[in-house]
Amino acid sequence: MRSMRSTGFRRRTQRVLEQGTSFVADASASFRRNGLMTAAAVTTIMVALLVVGAAVLIGLNLGNIAEVVEGQVQVVAFLRDGLTSVEAEKVRTAVGAVPGVEEVEFVGRGEALQRLQQQMGEHAAFADLASTNPLPDSLEVQLTDPRSAPVVASVVARQPGVAEVTYGGEVVDRLIALTRGLRGVAALLTVFLTSVALIVVVNTIRLTVIARRQEIEIMQLVGATPWFVRWPFLIEGLFQGAAAAVAAVVVLGTVYLVGMLRLQVTMPFLPLAGPADAALPLLGSVLMGGFCVGAAGSLLAIRRFLTS
Amino acid sequence: MVQFQDVTKGYPNGVLALRRVSLRVDPGEFVFVVGPTGTGKSTLLKLLYREESPTEGRVFVAGRDVSALPHRAIPELRRGLGVVFQDFKLLPSRTVFENIAFALRVIGAPPQEIRSRVIRALDLVGLAHRPDAMPGHLSGGEQQRISIARAIVNDPPLLLADEPTGNLDPNSSWEIMQVLSRINLRGTTVIMTTHNKMIVDILRRRVVQLAAGRVVRDQSRGLYAVDA
Repeated sequence: MRSMRSTGFRRRTQRVLEQGTSFVADASASFRRNGLMTAAAVTTIMVALLVVGAAVLIGLNLGNIAEVVEGQVQVVAFLRDGLTSVEAEKVRTAVGAVPGVEEVEFVGRGEALQRLQQQMGEHAAFADLASTNPLPDSLEVQLTDPRSAPVVASVVARQPGVAEVTYGGEVVDRLIALTRGLRGVAALLTVFLTSVALIVVVNTIRLTVIARRQEIEIMQLVGATPWFVRWPFLIEGLFQGAAAAVAAVVVLGTVYLVGMLRLQVTMPFLPLAGPADAALPLLGSVLMGGFCVGAAGSLLAIRRFLTS
Repeated sequence: MVQFQDVTKGYPNGVLALRRVSLRVDPGEFVFVVGPTGTGKSTLLKLLYREESPTEGRVFVAGRDVSALPHRAIPELRRGLGVVFQDFKLLPSRTVFENIAFALRVIGAPPQEIRSRVIRALDLVGLAHRPDAMPGHLSGGEQQRISIARAIVNDPPLLLADEPTGNLDPNSSWEIMQVLSRINLRGTTVIMTTHNKMIVDILRRRVVQLAAGRVVRDQSRGLYAVDA
């Protein structure tokens, strides 16, 4: 009894395997036959995927930067030039009395330059700056609650002796606006390029469909199910999508790695997403996109030729 | 086996191919559907294998109302009947054997049964000695016999033939009629549309005559036309 069931299972599995193999063979045969059109289809899908992938990578990094900056929210008050140390101390006391301020630290211009130098790494350009330091004295204000930064900043700005006030929130706001803008542009580009890619895929696969129109007609006539008819074409579409996705990942991955290494040398303070953090979102979005375009294209191509 | 109840079929271009046709075919019958071109003979068959559905009325195949059949049930319906056409509809790049095996493969028949079933079907149409020939190297009559073998390889109880001798010379036409008669003798119901007066008059089977989409005559052991 048990052995009978297992032979039945083995036979079924073997049949599914045989059928799957023949579907894949069909798909790869037409991949070779319509070489030029297939290359065109794969290239257009790849271009669309490059935009998707680039948007994902840039968005990821902007998000990272925004997060880091948000964690460092601090109000910095730059003092007017030419204040005496007594006057500066007076401003410091006044700022310390503002509600919501926890602690105020005076940072002299010399110290500010040193800190900047440390942050930027060893660069020859700083040697010249030591004599003509462009930085003003400043007060670094720690807040009891980072969210009160805009309110505290506006009160501090009104203190006599304060020239200008900045807080990290401005940068965060700008980063968020930039990310949003970028997403919008990327979405529009993606929609446009995906439509173009879809049209090319549909036309490529339609060539195969037309070449095999007679087979499709007979299949339907003798009672093949619509999915049986669709599979080989669907696999062909998925092949194209996957090939384009792999190409796009290779291109984007290379560009990103090279670009990241360069940026880390010139701007080491930028909190960039490392290869390990970037790999999953990139692979996920690009592969997903490739498969979707390939599948949708092939199903659209065969739709008109399926009567039932 | 087959029943038409008050069936009207209009096409989107306004042509009424069938008008209020009622017809009943019992299991095991052999029926000729005759009439000039454009009188709805092909439409009648298309309603049976659900290439078309009726505008009004109902169509039954083996007791099942196929006019209301959902799309997903159409493959099942077609596995229960065979269809033969004037232009054979063979795949030119595949052998005789492959053409027939194709019909079994695409409906998921067990691979170990395919060989014996194809040989049996070829035997029935008298082509068991040419399984490896390419269809293009065979005569029209032989090609039509391959297409009949493909239609019956699944042992359907109903065989539909749309002008099967339309492209053939008289000798080949007789071969085809012999094959169809043999299949009918095994119990398969056969419905065949034709223009071929000689065949109808010699075989003397049931004749359904259509004119402008209506059944104008339904006669057992009939002739192609009734002389006035």
